[in-house]
Amino acid sequence: MRAFASLPVVLSLMLTSASGHLDPLARSADESAPGSNPLPESTRFFGPPPTPAVQELPHHPAFREYYFSRVAYTGYGRGWGRGFGRGGPSWATDYPKADQIFLSFIDRLLSNLDAYEWQHPVLLDDPQLRRFPYLYALEVGYMNLTPSEVEGLRGFLLAGGFLVIDDFWGPREWANFEYQMEQVLPGYPIVDLSQDHEIFSTFYEITELLQVPNRRNGWWSVNGGSTSECYGCLPQIKGIYDEEGRLMVVINFNTDLGDAWEWADDPYYPLKFSTYAYEMGVNMIVYAMSH
Amino acid sequence: MFESLFEFLFKYRLLLFQEGDFSFTSPWPWAIGLIVAAAFAVPSALTYTAARGDSTAADRGIMGGLRLGALSIVVFCLLQPTLIITSVVPQRNFVGILIDDSRSMTIADQDGRQRSEFVTRNFTGEESELLNQLAERFTLRFFRFSNSTQRLGDVSELEYRGSRTEIGPALVRAQEELAGVPLSGLILITDGADNSGEALAESLLPLQAASTPVYTIGLGEEALSPDIQVSRVEIPRSVLAGASLVVDVIIAQRGFRGRTVQLVVEDEGRIIASQDVELKRDGEPVVARVRFAADEAGPRLLQFRIPLQPGERVGRNNMREVLLNVRDEREKILYFEGEPRWEVKFLRRAVAEDENLQVVILQRTAENKFLRLDVDTPEELAAGFPRTREELFAYRGLVLGSVEASFFTHDQLNMIADFVSERGGGLLLLGGRKAFREGGYEGTPIAQVMPVFMDDELSDGSGPYFAEVDVRPTRSGLTHPAIQLGQNENALEEAWETLPSVTSLNPISKLKPGATALLEAAGGPGSARQIVLAHHRFGRGKVIVLPIQDSWFWQMSADVSVDDQRHETFWRQLLRWLIDGVPDGVVAETDRERVEVGESVELRATVSDSAFMEVNNGLVSVFIEGPSGPPIEQRMEWTVDEDGVYDAAFVPSEPGLYEIRVEATRAADSLGTGSTFVYVTESDEEYFDAGMRRTTLERIADETGGRFYTPETVSNLPEDISLTGAGVTLTEERDLWDMPFLLLLLLSLVGSEWLYRRARGLI
Repeated sequence: MRAFASLPVVLSLMLTSASGHLDPLARSADESAPGSNPLPESTRFFGPPPTPAVQELPHHPAFREYYFSRVAYTGYGRGWGRGFGRGGPSWATDYPKADQIFLSFIDRLLSNLDAYEWQHPVLLDDPQLRRFPYLYALEVGYMNLTPSEVEGLRGFLLAGGFLVIDDFWGPREWANFEYQMEQVLPGYPIVDLSQDHEIFSTFYEITELLQVPNRRNGWWSVNGGSTSECYGCLPQIKGIYDEEGRLMVVINFNTDLGDAWEWADDPYYPLKFSTYAYEMGVNMIVYAMSH
Repeated sequence: MFESLFEFLFKYRLLLFQEGDFSFTSPWPWAIGLIVAAAFAVPSALTYTAARGDSTAADRGIMGGLRLGALSIVVFCLLQPTLIITSVVPQRNFVGILIDDSRSMTIADQDGRQRSEFVTRNFTGEESELLNQLAERFTLRFFRFSNSTQRLGDVSELEYRGSRTEIGPALVRAQEELAGVPLSGLILITDGADNSGEALAESLLPLQAASTPVYTIGLGEEALSPDIQVSRVEIPRSVLAGASLVVDVIIAQRGFRGRTVQLVVEDEGRIIASQDVELKRDGEPVVARVRFAADEAGPRLLQFRIPLQPGERVGRNNMREVLLNVRDEREKILYFEGEPRWEVKFLRRAVAEDENLQVVILQRTAENKFLRLDVDTPEELAAGFPRTREELFAYRGLVLGSVEASFFTHDQLNMIADFVSERGGGLLLLGGRKAFREGGYEGTPIAQVMPVFMDDELSDGSGPYFAEVDVRPTRSGLTHPAIQLGQNENALEEAWETLPSVTSLNPISKLKPGATALLEAAGGPGSARQIVLAHHRFGRGKVIVLPIQDSWFWQMSADVSVDDQRHETFWRQLLRWLIDGVPDGVVAETDRERVEVGESVELRATVSDSAFMEVNNGLVSVFIEGPSGPPIEQRMEWTVDEDGVYDAAFVPSEPGLYEIRVEATRAADSLGTGSTFVYVTESDEEYFDAGMRRTTLERIADETGGRFYTPETVSNLPEDISLTGAGVTLTEERDLWDMPFLLLLLLSLVGSEWLYRRARGLI
């Protein structure tokens, strides 16, 4: 567990400049000093406040079965380097509110899952990355992986890890993502997941693929506005399989599950999108943990 | 030497003194003898007392004593000491001579000559002294024995081709044949190897009851040297295809101390494993552990062989053949997990390529919500965890993950315990936050079947238990096939030492009596340690515990290469072991896996229904298919002694592999089938442990009142039978007064007195 220490050191540097954009629930690096929190060091960067809920964890806090681990990748453009452009780095879009609300729903929907209740960003080149076999990455149109991140993600996926991609739109962002994945998994094709794929039925029966809009488009869609963030873009779910035919990566393209998670508490955001997003979110977790 | 000296001094052999009664046959009564003795002794004593001369009291005492001793010997002789013995009446009694007709009699270890030459020399031809002496005293009846016992007209008919030596049945048969005649005893001529498998003590009982002594003649060296022998091969009779086997081969040797020899394992001419074995001291067996995989399905005849070494006395004991039934079946295991866990994913991945394992997953994802994977039909497990014995007992193995005991009904908990004890299934209990004591299993039927106690001796009491564990094999684990991650012990230890640590939430450290730990946490000696893998047998089945929660980290750790197969190997072996030996509803067995043509094979079938309740009213048939010809159907009958057990027998008529397939039905409903194999071939058993079994032969002689002989001492045999045998006997008196010992004693006493006088100047 000591090796986890490398993760917060890097992230805390980022937090120092980004804290103004983050949810007030997020703790500062000072608050998460060793000894003040029973949680493992790797979870402390954006760690939780010392609320009673945290103090009464059902078992030893040093290990939880499931972490909603968001990939803090190196990006450019909107999220150049590991710095922060407009609205923060691209990896941190909707962060951490989407993560927290998603996890609070997961706690009720997957009531038997021993899930860590708080956001959990991870670096792809962290040696402990594989301890968290479920990764979530979004806005991958701005992803610009370093060689060490490419190496780390490749090892993660080939060892058996599972990556969920979300919230990227249009041919340009697709082209960037495709290029990045070609670096990570050269020769592994990206293929469509048909509606009869098990991922649509592991927990909820999902019979229709929806385009989940961001918050603003969601409001407009009620009055007939488009749900898409780019003209004529249709939602797609694709995947990448390993050599034994096991799904490693699920790609939610031209859709934004994360915004639906984040704004599920918004009374003006259409229920059908947040319902679909949560159903997909649950199915992807159950599928990843059993297949 | 001792016997010769004894006979010289005491005129007769020691045996006569042991068997006979001592008596005085003087015509005068005892009292007269004593009076005469006193008449001599008193004047002598007075004379010594009166005529003192220069002598001291001590001198007189010593000289008086010596004189008195000499006088006593004279009186003893005058009383005519006699030995009264009982001996058989010549030519009125019979003696049965049983001669070993097995192959081991051709081993040349009698001064370079075959053991059988003793028989030829002593029991054929008119010049045979032993035969003549016996024939003078007794009427002789000859028998040959090996696999069976037969009357023998002429000793020259012996062929020494028998594949077994059945001493007990041979003695009983000979006694029965000679039951109507006065029998003085039986002579057993053999090297003593009894490979009949029957208890010798039982065969000796009728001989003891009839007071028939057995005189045994042991042929051959007690320890053959130099010689190497593959004594035993410890291997299961049946495994799943692809199983990794760790087979113990016990090697005995003499004369090759310190030498390294190669042990080769062949499957129909193809070498599948070989291992160098360093031999230890003479007579000390070595256990060679050889690892290989059973890849090819079907009955496999494996040969474990050590190449012939220069100078070896017996070459045919360097190889053992064993029959291994490699089953190419897909066997079902139910893994019930109480929550979404990574163990499910990585366990499935680990065994996905194993075509012989079907791991059916039932995972509780939310309250009353279950995910089913790899089920055969839409109905399978549709209602969640099985509620009937039929449903649960359809699986051979059951894995319980992190699921609290209160999830199950009391009937389900009992059913899980019965799954082990009655169905004979394998139960694997994984660690987790809702497992063991943390899952409320204390006091439940499952706690009773566990190989461990759930007492917490590890946690410090400051909070819920949590431990990071570096897993190490125990001494028992080093040799256990389930945790073999290396080709030898060093590689195995290194493989485990370099695996990343895992975690446990269940403080398990105490084994129940009879349980074995295979993996445990690394730690110093003496302290209580976290048990990682332990097992025991319970009833007909086995229970294994693995109280860790994240073995998947052996796959996902950054310290483990992506190509590393240790996680996959561990789980594949563990699950295969879990269901190893789990019985079907119909089980076919034979008493032996290897027989000779003409030997009877006992067949036995255990028949149960789908709830594994024994069936006594079934219609059970056995189909015996030999190397040629169509299968022969035979009806099996309920034994009555045991529920659900049926038996039959058959005699193979040709060498080769026989498949025994049992089919059972009840009221037209099939109860299932079971099969096994028998290999019919010439036996080499005679060449194993082929040294002369002195202790066995001495025991036979002692327990029946006979004696044991070697070719060197056998010349006394005719007389010994005369003196100690049963049958028609007469009583004989033999004088003892003229024993050379008495004369020598008399002379030495008189001489000693004279010498004493000289030495003391009293002459």
